Amino acid sequence: MIYAIMYGLTVGAILYLISVGFSLTFGTMRVINFAHTLTYTIGAYLLVASLRQVGIPFLWGGVVGVGVAALVGYCIERFVIRRLYGESLDYTFIATFAVFLIGVDIIKWIWGVYPKPISDPIGRAAEFFGFVFPVYRILVIVLAILVFFGLEFFIRKTMVGKIIVAALDNKEGVRCLGIGVEKYFTIAFVLGSALAALGGVLYAPITAVHPYMGSHILLLCFAVVLTGGLGNLRGTFLASFFLGMLISITGRFWPAGSEIVAFIAMALVLLLRPIEA
Amino acid sequence: MLQVIGIDAAYGHARVLHDVSLELEEGEMLFIVGRNGAGKTTLLRTIMGLLRPLKGSIKFDGGDIAGLSPEELYHRGFRYVAQDKKVFGSLTVRENIEIAAYSSGEPLSRAVDKVLEIYPKMRDFLNLKAGQLSGGQRQILLIGQALVGTPRLLLIDEPTQGLAAVVINEIAKILKRLKGQLSAIIVEQNLPLVTKLADKVVVLKEGKVIATLREASEICNTDLLEKSL
Ligand SMILES: Nc1ncnc2c1ncn2[C@@H]1O[C@H](COP(=O)(O)OP(=O)(O)OP(=O)(O)O)[C@@H](O)[C@H]1O
Ligand SMILES: [Mg+2]
Repeated sequence: MIYAIMYGLTVGAILYLISVGFSLTFGTMRVINFAHTLTYTIGAYLLVASLRQVGIPFLWGGVVGVGVAALVGYCIERFVIRRLYGESLDYTFIATFAVFLIGVDIIKWIWGVYPKPISDPIGRAAEFFGFVFPVYRILVIVLAILVFFGLEFFIRKTMVGKIIVAALDNKEGVRCLGIGVEKYFTIAFVLGSALAALGGVLYAPITAVHPYMGSHILLLCFAVVLTGGLGNLRGTFLASFFLGMLISITGRFWPAGSEIVAFIAMALVLLLRPIEA
Repeated sequence: MLQVIGIDAAYGHARVLHDVSLELEEGEMLFIVGRNGAGKTTLLRTIMGLLRPLKGSIKFDGGDIAGLSPEELYHRGFRYVAQDKKVFGSLTVRENIEIAAYSSGEPLSRAVDKVLEIYPKMRDFLNLKAGQLSGGQRQILLIGQALVGTPRLLLIDEPTQGLAAVVINEIAKILKRLKGQLSAIIVEQNLPLVTKLADKVVVLKEGKVIATLREASEICNTDLLEKSL
C-alpha cells in the first residue's frame, strides 16, 4: 500500500507537469491544444536520442529535450494557434489534432514504433522506516512541487505573470489597457510546452518511450484539467496528485479499472460543478 | 477631435449599425442613449477598435483610425470602460491599477493616487481581490484605471447600470469632475443624469442615429428624450 501511494505521488507529479500548461493555455487563450502532449513525447524522445545516439548524461539530455520541445511549442503557437484566436473551438480541435498526428508520424519515421525503455538515471534507493523507495521517484515528486511553487511565484509576483492572470479574467480588458496580449500568450504557451516536455523527460525512465505515449496521457490530462478547473493552477496541482493517487491505489486492487476511475472522478466533478464557459 | 462618419458595423451577417455619424469636440461630454439592442455598445466597441466597421471612417485629430487595434488606440489616449464591469477579479485592486499603469509608463504610486483622488475610500481595498468589490466599487475602479496615463477620450458604457441610487450619485460626481477636463462618449440610460451632464446627446434607434441634440434646451427636455427612445 505504501508503494501504491508512492507510485501515485509519482504519477501525480508527472500529470501535474503535463497538465499545468494545458490548463494555462486553455485558460488564457481559450484554445484546446491537442498537440500539447506532443511536446511531452518530443521531450522524452530527445532524451532517449541524447542518451543513446549522442551519449551525453541524463541531465543534459533532459535540457536538450525540454529546450527543443519549447522551440516546437513556440512554432506551434506562432504558426498554428495564433491564427485561430477568436475562432470557434472546433477549428482549434481540428488544427491542433492535425499537428499532433503529423508530429507522431514524424516521430515514428525518425525513431520507429518500438518502445524505447531507458534506465533510472540514479539507480539508487533510499530506505525509510523499512520501505525502499527509488531516489529518482522522490526527486520527481520534489521537482514537481518545486515547479508548483516556482510557477505560483511567477504567476503571482512577476508582471508577466500578473498580465497572464489578468488576461485569464478578461482578455479584452487587458488589450484595452494598451497591452498586446499575444506576446504573453506565447510566453504562457512555451512555458506550458517546456513543462510538458519536462514531464516526458522525467517519466521516460519510469515508463516506456513510444510514439503514442502522448495520446494516452492526453486523456488523463483532460481529466486532471477538468477536475481541477480550467485555468486554475492550484486546482490542477491538487487534481493531479488526487488522480495520480486514485489511479495507483485502484490499480492495486483492480488493475483494469485504474484509469477508468480517473474519468469517473472527472465526471463526478463536472456533475457537481459544471464548467462556466 | 473625433469624427465618426457614416459607419456600418455587423456581427457576422447581422448588421447592427447603419450609417452612424457623430462628432465630438475637445473637452465635450457626449451621451448616447437608446433602447436595449439599439447598438450603443457596438458603436463604442467599433470606436475602440474592437470591431472593424464595414464602411465609413473614424477620424481622430484629423487622422483616420478605423482599423487600428485597441492597443494602438490606448496609446493615443483612448480609454474604454466596458458595460460588463469586469475587473481582473483574481488580482488585488492595487494589481488592477498596476496593470493599467504598465503600458502607460505611469509610476504605480501616481496611478494609485489618481484612483484615490476620485474615490478616497478605495485606499481600504487596495489589497483586496478586485473580485470582492461591490458593483459600484468595481465601476469606480474601472473608471480610475481609465484615468491612468494620459487619457484623452473616455468611452464609458452604461456606468450606472444596475447600481444603487447612492452609488449612482457617487459616479455622477466623478463624471461631473471629469467634465471639461477630458473628452468623453458615455452610453447612459439614466436620463436625469444625461440631462445634467451632457453637452451633446445622440439618440440611437435600431442602429441608426435618429436625433442629435446640441442645445441645452433640447437636452434638458427629458420628455423629448424619452419620446425619441
Ligand atoms: N457578439 C454579438 N454577436 C451577435 N450579435 C450581437 C453581439 N453583440 C450584440 N449583438 C446584437 O447587436 C444588437 C446591438 O447590440 P448592442 O449590444 O450594441 O446593443 P446596446 O444598445 O448596447 O444594448 P443594451 O442596452 O442592452 O446594452 C443587438 O440586436 C444584439 O443582439
Ligand atoms: Mg450595451
